[in-house]
Amino acid sequence: MNIKRNNTPGEIGPRVVLSWILIATTAYCFLPWVALEYGITDFTMDELLDALGWNYNKATLVVPLLLLILVPFAWIKLPRKKSGWLFTILSGAVIGILLFSFIASNTSMGLAAGVILLCLAALFAIGISELGFQRGDTFIAGAVIFVVLMVAMFIFYPVWEIFRNVLFNKAGAFVPFQFFRIVTSFGVGRVIWNTLRLAFTVGAATTVCGLIFALYSVRATSRFRYLIRVFYILPIITPPFVVGMSLILLFGRAGMISDGLMFLFGPAGIFTPEGSQGIFERSGYIYGFLGIFLAQTLSLTPVSYMVISGMLSSINPAMEEASLTMRASRWTTLWKVTFPLLRPAIANAFLLGMISSAADFGNPLVLGGEYDVLSTEIYFSIAGAQLDFAKAAALGLILLFLSLSVFYIQKKWIGKKSYVTVTGVETSGNVTPLPKFLQRSLTLFISFWFILVGIVYISIFLGGFVTQWGADYSLTLSHHVELWSKGLSSGAWPSFLHSLSYSVIAAPLTTLVGVLIAYILTRKQFFGRGVIDFGTVLIFAVPGTVIGVAYILAFNTAPIELTGTAVILIITMAIRAMPVGIRGGMSALSQISTSLEEASILQRAGSLKTIRSVLLPLLKSTIVSSMAYSFIRAMTTVSAVIFLATAGTDVATTYILSRVESGDTGVAVAYGSVLILTMLIFTLLVQLVTGRSRTDKQVKII
Amino acid sequence: MSDSSIKIVLKNVSKYFGKVCALNAVDIEFAPGTLTTLLGPSGCGKTTLLRLVSGLEPVSSGEIWFGDENVTDLSATRRDIGMVFQSYALFPHMSVGQNVGYGLGVLKTAPDETQERVREVLEMVDMDGYQNRYPDELSGGQQQRVAVARAMVLRPKVLLFDEPLSNIDSKLRRSMRDDIRRLQQGSKITSIYVTHDQAEALAVSDEILIMRKGAIEQQGPPQSLYHHPETAFVANFIGESNVVDAELLGEGKTRQLVLGDAEINIAQGKKTTRQNGPVKLSLRPEVIEIAPKEEISPQALSGLIVQSAYMGPVIEYSIETKVGILFTRAPAYAGQFQKKEEVCVRIRPEEIIIIPNA
Ligand SMILES: Nc1ncnc2c1ncn2[C@@H]1O[C@H](COP(=O)(O)OP(=O)(O)OP(=O)(O)O)[C@@H](O)[C@H]1O
Ligand SMILES: [Mg+2]
Repeated sequence: MNIKRNNTPGEIGPRVVLSWILIATTAYCFLPWVALEYGITDFTMDELLDALGWNYNKATLVVPLLLLILVPFAWIKLPRKKSGWLFTILSGAVIGILLFSFIASNTSMGLAAGVILLCLAALFAIGISELGFQRGDTFIAGAVIFVVLMVAMFIFYPVWEIFRNVLFNKAGAFVPFQFFRIVTSFGVGRVIWNTLRLAFTVGAATTVCGLIFALYSVRATSRFRYLIRVFYILPIITPPFVVGMSLILLFGRAGMISDGLMFLFGPAGIFTPEGSQGIFERSGYIYGFLGIFLAQTLSLTPVSYMVISGMLSSINPAMEEASLTMRASRWTTLWKVTFPLLRPAIANAFLLGMISSAADFGNPLVLGGEYDVLSTEIYFSIAGAQLDFAKAAALGLILLFLSLSVFYIQKKWIGKKSYVTVTGVETSGNVTPLPKFLQRSLTLFISFWFILVGIVYISIFLGGFVTQWGADYSLTLSHHVELWSKGLSSGAWPSFLHSLSYSVIAAPLTTLVGVLIAYILTRKQFFGRGVIDFGTVLIFAVPGTVIGVAYILAFNTAPIELTGTAVILIITMAIRAMPVGIRGGMSALSQISTSLEEASILQRAGSLKTIRSVLLPLLKSTIVSSMAYSFIRAMTTVSAVIFLATAGTDVATTYILSRVESGDTGVAVAYGSVLILTMLIFTLLVQLVTGRSRTDKQVKII
Repeated sequence: MSDSSIKIVLKNVSKYFGKVCALNAVDIEFAPGTLTTLLGPSGCGKTTLLRLVSGLEPVSSGEIWFGDENVTDLSATRRDIGMVFQSYALFPHMSVGQNVGYGLGVLKTAPDETQERVREVLEMVDMDGYQNRYPDELSGGQQQRVAVARAMVLRPKVLLFDEPLSNIDSKLRRSMRDDIRRLQQGSKITSIYVTHDQAEALAVSDEILIMRKGAIEQQGPPQSLYHHPETAFVANFIGESNVVDAELLGEGKTRQLVLGDAEINIAQGKKTTRQNGPVKLSLRPEVIEIAPKEEISPQALSGLIVQSAYMGPVIEYSIETKVGILFTRAPAYAGQFQKKEEVCVRIRPEEIIIIPNA
């Protein structure tokens, strides 16, 4: 029996080249070359015709003509890599000319220009792979080019725009000292100090609480600990500011608990001696440091819990047993053996807590009051009447710097060590139990925590059914009616449907790109890999508010005008959720031996076939859970989208916040509770579909 | 040799990982249809050499030829290679049949033809009938057989084995290595085989290639490597050997070796390229005989037993002599010398190896 060997897989056939050229030419003929006045969704035929390349400007005909030159070379292979040079140089040159002409003429690109650029990038990839890039693997070369372009366009370019707005004035002149003038024109020192103080305390608090939960769930002998494994789901599916809102319901001026305290200890309270003022006074004590601190600690502790418990459960019990057999007490063992082993995880949890606190936007916005932090200050310098882009950029730069430095410390110092263990297998059985006294105190603490969390969530759900919290506790459906039964084009529906549809598009997109980045970073070594590596660091480290400002600065004007469109929101959601896909992909890929891929390659399969037949099936569960979690992130994100959502494209979270700002707390919590319920049902459905053990995996991706 | 067998030639091939030199300008020829074993200490570059031949890793410099085709720039997909990995690398989500038929699918072979061909190779490795099992339902040895079948199913020009038996227990290893040898000789595919186990190497190879620190130390058939090691390193690596210092004296019939307190006449006709002067000798355990102290003569060394271990049919001794500690074995029926006993150590002159390059 003979085996056919004539087809050489992996080789780029004429069909591939031709399809890219064909797509580009079609786009040129039928899609708008320049941006339409009112966007793709809303145009007249005349507008479209005017915007078509051959109508708009005859000079644009150069592009399809240059592309046609390449057609014969889909078949003809020039000797000694000359074909490669031809493709590389020609497509590279056309890309350059295109970009230059749009920038120089200050016009916004239309859809056709975008599609053509993408096709040119593909042809460029074909060219350089023929020249030996990625050892001639066209698919990988294309993927690398695509990722580099994406990172350049949606990370580097926007971040650069922040720098540009700080370093240059409106006229374009270089003003190196503008930064100092801006930041010294108001109390920037106070804002930074506020941010740092908050970040530090929240980092410490979440670490301590996370450690308590971790010790309890991994080591305690009580049945209670199984509850803990459930509790980390809640903050994940809750939009970050909702906890803040419920704190207002509970501890605000008209808060329920404030009322109670008033009743007991207020000036006329039953425990207040006659004639005294009492020890409790109605005030806005929850607005400011205390409130933000409480809200962030409540919502960020699960993250620190997961980091620490991952490491704790991967500690080999034998080490502790060794200590015990040497007559050390359980206390000594905990103190001298367990804690030192946990040190990297503890440090990691602390730094993660700090970063998340500094980047959090929703809670300070809702609870901040006089206490201004960087993220809210950035927002207020653009929102409303101020529109001070230079100030927003300068503050964004400071926040970015803070976040990057903490991230850098984390990565250099402990990143590697704790990475492996977060995904480590859980050891079973013979763990050393906690000292009795410690276990009892921890039980007490955790019960208290659960009660608090319980009250928080109950108040959110009740809040939606109460006429006027604090004044009139009669039950009503009016908030929900206002939201949900006023037709699909008013109330909550538009924003809810926007959120759903954008997230449904963003989730698979971000997972795909995230896993692709993970694949490139774990599997490929090449010149220029550092670019992707650094881009990934930025994706992880840039706070949402900074992304928001950067996108406004970058995509508000020619050559790429996207603000006000759904596209920019989808992209923002995708970028914000991308760490999920990258992390999930990295940890899954690091567990798949490269020899599987090599075995496939030696069976004559190209890299595309290898990815499809070997990697994808093995990554299936990772991809599904990343997609689900990205969807949740996209649905609940606030910080970046709040800068970009407009009246026509508002999403659930921005709608809720706008109702909070206008004082409709009842409506806001009603909406919030529906959102939480939706996410909860979604999570349960995903778990049902993907099997029971998925919870752990899904959560480990974070 | 069938006419489809090809010769593999490495011309001045080097491989650097950053600054680490894993392979330093090696020139090697693998004869058509032969099985060559790469043997050497850990980290000497065996796997690297294999991966360069496979194309999974690009060379830093030099050329690789398959027959009269220069494959240096050819990707692994197009080099026509079958490889058996140490970890088997079976696709866990595919059945045995799908694993073995994977490459046929890639080449768009018709389904019934694929099935027939899969059955044929599985039969060769005694695994026909297991088509519908999944890898995790097989024992280690069975998985390795499937891996071998998969490597051979496309009738590649070259077969590569990277420590294929190191995860298999020692009894099974013996029969597996015989099977691999049989399959290779039947198919006459030029093969390169990496192992740590010198017994395995001696058993399966047409040729053995000893590597050291990214360079080739010696290449040749097992017997020639065993009996004519060119360096002390090779003598030590293949079989057990005592490498000792000696001095070469005299001319023609009176040519002698002085080692310690012994003077040994070299047997008639024993040739060495070495000049008179200090040399290194390789003494295999089987060349060394122990006798009671009373039989001492000028041709023998006096020694002191420092270790004496009963190993069933043989007894292993370590003997302290003027030239260092010598290791040898004696049949157990001859009786056991005790530790601390003084003995006479005789060396059979005709089997002394004078190492050429030491
Ligand atoms: N991907 C790599 N990156 C950096 N260095 C490498 C890489 N692969 C191998 N090396 C280095 O090259 C040298 C040779 O490695 P190689 O794996 O070929 O050794 P080996 O002979 O197969 O060893 P072993 O018997 O332990 O398998 C070693 O020093 C190793 O550290
Ligand atoms: Mg090796």
